Formats: sequence, structure tokens, C-alpha cells
Amino acid sequence: MPHGLSTAFAIARKDLRTELRTKESINASASFALVILVLFSFAFNLERDEFYAISGGLLWLVFVFAGALIVNRSFSRELPNDCLDVLVASPAPGWAIFLGKAMAAFVLLTIVEAISLPIFGLFYNIHWMDSAGPLVIIILLATWGITIVGAAFSAVIVNVRLRELMLPVLLYPILIPLLIAAMGSTTALLSGEQMTGDNFSYIRQLIGFDAMYTALALYMIEFILVV
Amino acid sequence: MDVTNLTFLFYGYSAAWIVITAFVLLLVSRGRRIDRELSRLKALVDDKQKA
Amino acid sequence: MREKAIWALGLLGAVVMIYNLHTVFLNLPDEAMQGAIYRIIFIHVPAAISAQVFFTVSLVASILFLVKKNHAFDAVAVSCIEVGTMLVLVNLVTGSIWGKSQWGIWWAWDLRMTSQLMCFLLYLGYLVVRPAIAEPTQRATMSAFIAIFAYADIPLVDLAIRLPNVRTQHPGAVLETGQMAPMFIPPFLVGILAVLLISTALVLVRLHQETSQREIDSLRRELHAL
Repeated sequence: MPHGLSTAFAIARKDLRTELRTKESINASASFALVILVLFSFAFNLERDEFYAISGGLLWLVFVFAGALIVNRSFSRELPNDCLDVLVASPAPGWAIFLGKAMAAFVLLTIVEAISLPIFGLFYNIHWMDSAGPLVIIILLATWGITIVGAAFSAVIVNVRLRELMLPVLLYPILIPLLIAAMGSTTALLSGEQMTGDNFSYIRQLIGFDAMYTALALYMIEFILVV
Repeated sequence: MDVTNLTFLFYGYSAAWIVITAFVLLLVSRGRRIDRELSRLKALVDDKQKA
Repeated sequence: MREKAIWALGLLGAVVMIYNLHTVFLNLPDEAMQGAIYRIIFIHVPAAISAQVFFTVSLVASILFLVKKNHAFDAVAVSCIEVGTMLVLVNLVTGSIWGKSQWGIWWAWDLRMTSQLMCFLLYLGYLVVRPAIAEPTQRATMSAFIAIFAYADIPLVDLAIRLPNVRTQHPGAVLETGQMAPMFIPPFLVGILAVLLISTALVLVRLHQETSQREIDSLRRELHAL
């Protein structure tokens, strides 16, 4: 078990190092997030107070669209030069490879979110700093859900035609329960509510989703990562 | 109100049957295509084995 | 022999369905509040229940495929999911028309309809991705994976839309309360049976087609070899 975990970290480090050298994914994803943020400003013509009601929804739409770009790269970056076959054929356990890539995607998406959140606050005059603590927790929980399921599907469709189109078709419906909880809790937080009582059920939902799909993905990835 | 309700009932059941019929037709056309391909390939294999 | 069995099953289903429709339309009175439109329930709900049955069967088939690697299980899974998705569509369409008649709107984002729509989207993803994978074993494995993930999501979706402020308990309450006058129960159960019989026949037809398709693939390989 410790051996697998250190392999996972090694793969995560490798992915992050490759990515941070070129910053391809981060640049593309962050630019995309920025463009969507701007587009949304044209989509709605709301008063500032009214805007708080849709703030959570908007933010998570931006994050999940940006996230799809990042997780798509997780496994497809290994395609040139048969790197994926080599990885799978290596003694590294399948779950470790998968976990490493999911962790790398998680870090990358968190970076993009960290860039987008202040811009979001700026464009829409949302004071997110007031509830920064709980907000960060929700963002981290939901981002983990997005990246673990996204990485799993990225592995599934790595050899499929029209990969970039198929991933959203598969990924977004599965993420709906996670997004509902993330959007609801973020809207509540940004509107000044506390994460207690009713609102705590959002956090429960996030944790439940993360736990279930992390376990399912780790267990089942062995069937997908075969040579 | 009753007449409008009957109209909706008619549309409702019609819609259900249209969806089911469309699916059946899809299955039938796919079945024909498969049968055609199967007999074509079988004939080809027979020819090649005789030759 | 097998084809005869499928025909017999389909015919039986059709007979049961016609008998049930006769009961529903001619022997049952109009409902107090809704008038005639309530009769749509006798196809709306059986479609949903049958779809659930087939999705569960497809889950078991997918798991069995991953364990035993027998393509017959994959064939069962795809057949069940195709027919199941069609049934969910029937449920959505009839529900929408019922909604238009009762509340004046084509779509209300209430618990049940939203949950069914999510179900539809999940399995639509399965059906869209599957043809894009060329190699049969890979296709079967990936499909099984997607089917299991999709099935696991359904209870989560149900939980999520029950979170505060997400969806109202609003319309569709007739089914939530689970109260049905005793005289409606027999046609309701017969309706479920009828839809199940007909859709099982469809699943078997699809299954047969899947087997033929595999035969085509193997003949193609044989041709290549010759």
C-alpha cells in the first residue's frame, strides 16, 4: 500500500512538473474561464442584490467548464509515443497511476479556480472574502469530486473518437449531484448564510459524493487501465 | 374542462405510442441491416472457402 | 424457436396492454379533480418502473461482464439500457403532457421529473459514447464502467434534488403520497405487467441483434484471414 501511494505521488509530481513547465492547460483553462465570466455578464442584466441568487451557480459553471478542459488532458497527454501503454505495463498499480493523475488534475484545477475567483469577485462585485474559510472548503471538496470522476472518464475515453466532445456528454450528468450541492452551498455562503442546519446537508452531499466516487473509481480503474 | 382533458389524454397516449413505435421501427431497420450484412458476409466466406 | 418465443412474448404483452387499455378507458370513471387525464398514469408510471427494472438488470450484467468477460453480458447490458432509455423518454413525454394539462406548464422542475431527466441524460451518455469505441472488448469494458457509474449516480441525484431550496415538492404530489383509490390498483398493476412484457420482448429482439452483430464481426475477421 505505501508503495502504491508513493507511486501515485511520483506520477502526480511528474504531471505537475510537465504541466507547470509549459502551463498549456492552465493558460487554456484560465482563459476559457475568463471568457465565460465575461460572457455571463452579457447573459444577465440583474441588480447587484439579485445577482447573489445566481452567484453560486455561475461560479460552478465556470469551474466545471474549465475543469473539463483540464481533466481531458490527464490521460490524453500520455498518448504520444505510447507513454500510456508503457505506464500501464509498468509495475505501478493501476489505481496508483489513476490517483496520481487525479491529484495532479486537482492541483491544476485549484490553481485555475484560485485565479478565477478574484476575477469573479471583481466583475460581479461579490464579496467572497467574508466567507473565505468555508468557501475554500467547499471549493476543495467539490473540485476533488470533479477531478476524480473527470480523470476516471478521461481514462475511459482516451482512445475514443471525438474525445473532447464525449467527455462533457459523460461527465456533466454524473457531476450533477455534486454541482447541485456546490452551487447551493456557494450561493448560500456568498449571500451571507452560515454552513449550519439545513445548509450543512450540502457539505454532507459533497463528502458523500466524493467518498463514493473515489472508492468506486479507485476500485474499477483496474478494468480500464489494461494494455 | 372534460373535453380539454380528453384532448390532452389523447395527445399523451399518442406521444407514448409514437415513441415506442419509433423505437420499434429503429430496431426493425437495424435488424434488416444486420441480416443483410450477415448474409452478404456468409456468402462471401462460402465463396472464398470454395475457391 | 427463439424468434417464436419473442413473438409470443410480444403478442402476450400486446394482448395484456389492450385488455388494460379497455379497462382504463371504458370501465373506470373519471377522477374527481383531474377529469380524464389521470388515465395517463397507467402508462406514465409503468414506463418508469420498467425502466428501473431494466437499468438494474443492466447494472448486474455490467458487473458480471467485468468479472467474467463474457460478451453475452455486455449484450444484455446494452439492450436493457437502450430499451430503458426509451421508456424513460416515454415517461418524460407523458409526464410533460400531464403537467401541461394540470398546471399549464410543459415542464416543472419538480423532484420526480428532474430525477427522471437526469436518469435519461446519464444513460444517453452511455448510448452516445458506446458507438465511438471501435474495438469490441474495449467497448464492452468502457460501457460497463459507464453503466456502473451512471447507476450509482441515480440515488445521489435523488438525494441532491431533495436538498434545501433546490427543487420544490410541488406538482407530481399524486405519486409522492402513494395513495391510490383501491379500484385503480388492479389496472395499475396490469399496466406494469403489460409494459414489462412488451419491453422485455424488445430487449430480447435487441439482444438477438447484438449477437448477430458479433457474428458479423467474427465473419469479417474470418474473411480477412482467408
